[in-house]
Amino acid sequence: MEGTGKTETLYHMIIRCIMPMQNGGLEVGVVFIDTDYHFDMLRLVSALEGRLAEDLKEGDCSENEPEERVHSCLRRLSVVHCNSTVQLLLTLHYLENTFSSQPSLGLMVIDSISAFYWVDRFNGGESTVCQEANLRKCAELLDRLRRNYGIVIFATTHAIMRNYGSDPGVSDVPGSSSSSRRWRSAESATDFDKPYLCRAWQRIVTHRMLFTKSHVSKDHKQVFSTACTSIMTKGVKRCSFHVMEDCIKFICDK
Amino acid sequence: MVILKEGMCPGINEDFIKALQSEDIRTVEDFVSCNPEELAQKCSLSYKALVAVRRVLLAQYTAFPVSGADLYEELLSSTAILSTGSPSLDKLLDSGLYTGEITELIGSPGSGKTQVCFSVAVNMSHQLKQTVLYIDTKGGMCANRLLQMLQTKTPNMEEQMEALQKIKVFRVFDVFSLLACLQNLRSNGLQKASVGGGSVKALMVDSVSAVLSSMLGGKQNEGMSLLMQVAGEMKMIAKEFNIAVLVTNHVIKDGIGHLKAGLGQSWSHVPRTRVLLQRVENAETSSLRTATLTKSSRQACHLIEEFDLCHWSEERRTSISGKRKLESSKP
Repeated sequence: MEGTGKTETLYHMIIRCIMPMQNGGLEVGVVFIDTDYHFDMLRLVSALEGRLAEDLKEGDCSENEPEERVHSCLRRLSVVHCNSTVQLLLTLHYLENTFSSQPSLGLMVIDSISAFYWVDRFNGGESTVCQEANLRKCAELLDRLRRNYGIVIFATTHAIMRNYGSDPGVSDVPGSSSSSRRWRSAESATDFDKPYLCRAWQRIVTHRMLFTKSHVSKDHKQVFSTACTSIMTKGVKRCSFHVMEDCIKFICDK
Repeated sequence: MVILKEGMCPGINEDFIKALQSEDIRTVEDFVSCNPEELAQKCSLSYKALVAVRRVLLAQYTAFPVSGADLYEELLSSTAILSTGSPSLDKLLDSGLYTGEITELIGSPGSGKTQVCFSVAVNMSHQLKQTVLYIDTKGGMCANRLLQMLQTKTPNMEEQMEALQKIKVFRVFDVFSLLACLQNLRSNGLQKASVGGGSVKALMVDSVSAVLSSMLGGKQNEGMSLLMQVAGEMKMIAKEFNIAVLVTNHVIKDGIGHLKAGLGQSWSHVPRTRVLLQRVENAETSSLRTATLTKSSRQACHLIEEFDLCHWSEERRTSISGKRKLESSKP
């Protein structure tokens, strides 16, 4: 759903990837595919500056000015804007060359993969196959990129479909499509977490994180939580966090 | 989908297209998805030609990645924050309306959304001397009211007329005309619409729900698709031309009785910032309103400010803000 901290979490991960090793980063290249003009560079940079400044206090005084360090981090990030599924598909084909020529690229983020859902559904007319054709091709291509180049892909989906008749706590949903049978319903399944993208997409997803807004904590800060299910492990892993001025602060409540 | 036509690029001639059609490849995306080696074997076309055409087509139709550093530099020089003219509202919006983003005003009928749009438009055209594009879908645009607001700011007739000229009004009454209007604005370049030296810095749509809500509901896929297309056009205009987009929307009550924006879940992801306007109960003057920040990527939510519609530029001394008052002011 909206306002639950998905984009903040993405920024947190991107920052961790592009920061230099001495600041606790991973120094890998990131490709960010923005499908709904949602990318807020100013927010990313303010969070990055906050994180770099924080680490600087711990004694590592390099000669570079803060601005130069931000620039060198940003050089590891590329941003692409797509405005239709066709353009997304063609861009992914183009990026295949980039991935093979730049081995330092390790992460691809797509925000969000569900942006063209309604437009595709209308353009495809009555046939579901037609509606989902482009997204299916994208999903197959993403799977190939993942297997051949070993990159990690994160994609966000907006929760827009109501989960009618869902029974929280039931581990198997009988009688529904094969895609949902692979996922155990998280105990706090909300009304809006029905998977609605095409089957090809559901098949290539290996980890699924559901973001929700939780309660307001004692010091009046909004708590967000995420529940992660995976096809490789049983059970649901949960995590809570606050969204702060410069980064996400995780709450350890175990 | 993009259909393969001859002459699209050097190397695509009629025979080329016929050979591909025999393998049922008619669109660019089908062509690019196929492996050129396999295609060369099946279609008896030269592998070199296929690879060359593929490269040209990809170059024509893909979106190119921009380095983060360049994007940041560009944004630093082009983003502007436009003050709304009301100190309370500016506090809520973190100094004003940001260019390149969509801000949404929601409220029940009579809560003052159109009046707020007028006040912001008047402030921009008079104070900031920028052109404002105002798309009116409800017929609520009233030039007399704008003139009244300007008369309180300056007694000079010429200044008033100049400011009025900087507010361009488009009247549309259904979603197709809205889409056409937005597409025309984007393709003709907004600078043509600017008046008297100032550039276009703001686009207001009052209200977006009036034309879209009748298209939604039931099993109509077209409505949702049109909603996403309108959202896409507004976002592209905001980003490409660096203007601030302000839209108004109605409210509905959700299951627990809280007010939320209309037009459903899919629309709720579109605006970057959302402000809820409400009347103040039992107030001394009927023009008092409260604004609550319900979605923001820059400030904590549920900040509340009070303001007076009639005294736009004044700061309310008894403004309520911060979360201490949250419990008492919740309905």
